[in-house]
Amino acid sequence: MGGMIEALGTIFSMWGLACLLAGTAIGIVVGALPGLGPSIGISLLIPFTYTLSPELSMLLLVSLYMGAEYGGSVSAILLSTPGTAAAASTALDGYAMTRQGRANEALAISLGSSAVGGVIGGLALLVLAGPLASLALKFGPAGYFAVGLFGLTSVAALSGGSLVKGLLGAAFGLAIATVGIDPIAGVPRFTFGFIELYEGVPFLTALIGLFAVSEALVLAENGIRSSADGQGPVRSVLLRARQWRDLFPTMLSGSVIGTLLGILPGVGGNIACWIARDFARRRDKDPDSFGHGAEKGVAAPEAANNATVGGALIPLLSLGVPGSPTTAVLVGALILHGLRPGPQLFSEAPALVYSILIGVIVSALAMFAVGTLCLPIWARAIRLPRSVIATGIMAFAVLGAFALRNLVFDVSMMLLFGLLGYVLKKLRFSVAPIVLAMVLGYLVESNYRTALVTSQGSYSIFVTDPISVTFLILSAVSLILPILRSLRSRRRSAL
Amino acid sequence: MFRLMRHAKKVVATIALGAAFAIPAAQAADFPEKPVTLVVWSGAGGALDVYGRKLAELLEKEAGWTVKVENRPGGTGAVGMSAVLTQPADGYNILVHTGALTFGIAQGLIPFKLEDLRFLRAMQSEPSSLAVRADSPFQSAEEFIAHMKANPNGLRIGGHAPGGFHQYMLYQLMQQGEFESGWIPHDASGKVALALMGGHIDAAMMTPSSGLAQVEAGQIRLLGISTDERSDYFPDTPTFKEQGYDLVDEIWRGIAVKAGTPDEAVNAIQKAIDKVTASPEWQTFQADQKQESPDWQEDEFTANVGRQLDSQAAFLKAAGITQ
Repeated sequence: MGGMIEALGTIFSMWGLACLLAGTAIGIVVGALPGLGPSIGISLLIPFTYTLSPELSMLLLVSLYMGAEYGGSVSAILLSTPGTAAAASTALDGYAMTRQGRANEALAISLGSSAVGGVIGGLALLVLAGPLASLALKFGPAGYFAVGLFGLTSVAALSGGSLVKGLLGAAFGLAIATVGIDPIAGVPRFTFGFIELYEGVPFLTALIGLFAVSEALVLAENGIRSSADGQGPVRSVLLRARQWRDLFPTMLSGSVIGTLLGILPGVGGNIACWIARDFARRRDKDPDSFGHGAEKGVAAPEAANNATVGGALIPLLSLGVPGSPTTAVLVGALILHGLRPGPQLFSEAPALVYSILIGVIVSALAMFAVGTLCLPIWARAIRLPRSVIATGIMAFAVLGAFALRNLVFDVSMMLLFGLLGYVLKKLRFSVAPIVLAMVLGYLVESNYRTALVTSQGSYSIFVTDPISVTFLILSAVSLILPILRSLRSRRRSAL
Repeated sequence: MFRLMRHAKKVVATIALGAAFAIPAAQAADFPEKPVTLVVWSGAGGALDVYGRKLAELLEKEAGWTVKVENRPGGTGAVGMSAVLTQPADGYNILVHTGALTFGIAQGLIPFKLEDLRFLRAMQSEPSSLAVRADSPFQSAEEFIAHMKANPNGLRIGGHAPGGFHQYMLYQLMQQGEFESGWIPHDASGKVALALMGGHIDAAMMTPSSGLAQVEAGQIRLLGISTDERSDYFPDTPTFKEQGYDLVDEIWRGIAVKAGTPDEAVNAIQKAIDKVTASPEWQTFQADQKQESPDWQEDEFTANVGRQLDSQAAFLKAAGITQ
């Protein structure tokens, strides 16, 4: 209890608030720039925290993490260039809204949902960390495989009209995910002698290329004739009461999905936002509106990815094991301050733990404040001439791809993906299934094989593991239901 | 008065003499004349990066250098190594790397030779240990091995990475204990402790620090540890050696420069490292992180990596990972 009061004192001190505001502001910018995600942002900021107390530096870094998870959606909505892997699913409906001249609305929904998601993930971390951590332990390789498979079943919904094209895209994404050192046998596959491919095709280079570069090429091709898509004056940037009422259940379900998947090491926000979006689509009265500017298509993934912040901190604080690449960097920051993450921190440094726990919730609110102030600025960005936007996207795409691993190789790979994305756009392929399959491919494959090594080749492991069975059934249902539904409607129209 | 004068003369002479010697010495000790780059061959976060950043911080504090840390992940270390090898051999690019180096070379993943580097100092090392859950019936390595002998492949044993240090340690234990076992690889060391705690594997070969919270809380029991003598950090854990298995090895973290770097630069680096390792801050850091300090100097370090490469190449062949 003393730790909690001390933590509140730190958070609401002048320095504490300064760290929260600075952290979220830097986070939003870092998240919005393609390629510079939360983990790179935090590692860039760590040297500046040496002189701060551990409590203040964790406040700064956690609020950066929170801000970056939201910031990714800004560029996704305005320019269809998702700044983080998680924001790729927001781009689908968010950018559609921008093209309909509803950019402000989309931005406001994204900000509101992110704040709700951040607060709910933070509350779960504060109240339910223990039980949720033991839930994470129950997931074995078979369970992870089944969750990944369940995520893959949403491909059909992302196909943009043609199921065949969607499945082709997914197959391509899965194929790319096999590049790199084999997770079980330890030998390189499909690397063609490039040592840069040992760790696989970096997901972000593909993401930046497929989304950002292809969009810049389309913008450039359309020329400098018109100024922008954002018509009309800058309207209110706050959500109306009606929207809050309509969207709150979606935000809530997105937050719960984000928190739960956030606690699973290696799953995290990249996958949570796709599953949250798909969940919202299935429950919607008008599922076909998704992909064409559905408000819920922005609310669900955005709530989910900010909820993963609290979720990913659960295994870190209660088990001492990081739940995401970003929390792995946070571990480094803690260690440099002479602290070791884990349950013993609760007794060794209670004020620090509570600064993190409460800091997550307060940083979501700080993000809402900073984000609201920034909204009018973002709205101006799309009024820039197309030539400026296209060049700007290209510049940041190159920068982001390089910043990932300081490799020029990654820049070339990103440009190749950009050309591919451009061609696919011309052929009316949706790039979303490729991205989703790339995210899930490694998870599904490595865990499928680990499960079989564990069971010494017996497939029974997938049906004796309760978590695996549950998700396999869910996957089957989500595949069969739409087929049944379409059969029924066909029969009805035939009558 | 006279005595004082004479004394003063002596002092002046000493200073002058010292200065005369100091001038060439100061020139040689001029390294570094510009910022030094520590090339960490893994990404941000993680044990190697933390070590590299602490080293950079202390080189600035203790030796007065200006140090830049550069993460160059990729190619299981080959990218970072080539980043150093493509720079001049002047000591300004120092590779921060681990014992995974010899596995990478033995597997043919890292397309370089040991002779491409000068191995300056191994500064941290961690042992492997045989770990089981608290509810496991096994109390010693002996009991565990007896069970495995009676039930070949009877337990699910796993750890970090295929064909890496921990599988190599299990392989040696298998040879000495004459039992058979499979290997369930995990792609992150933190996941090994989680899999063990969740009951998805029965035993693990892992660095004790990767499940430290659980080891200290008694949820994970260590049956044996691969240090030469009992570790200060885990005094209750018997070594494999005292249980009759000649299994002594550790995975190191250390620094190297490109082969051909002149001795003057190397000596200056060694002096700066001595200042770092002598500092109380470094020693606290090592203790907090539960790191052993092998402190291998160049000769010992070079001999050790050579020996490790040979025996690991034999293991990889026997395990069917290389031809």
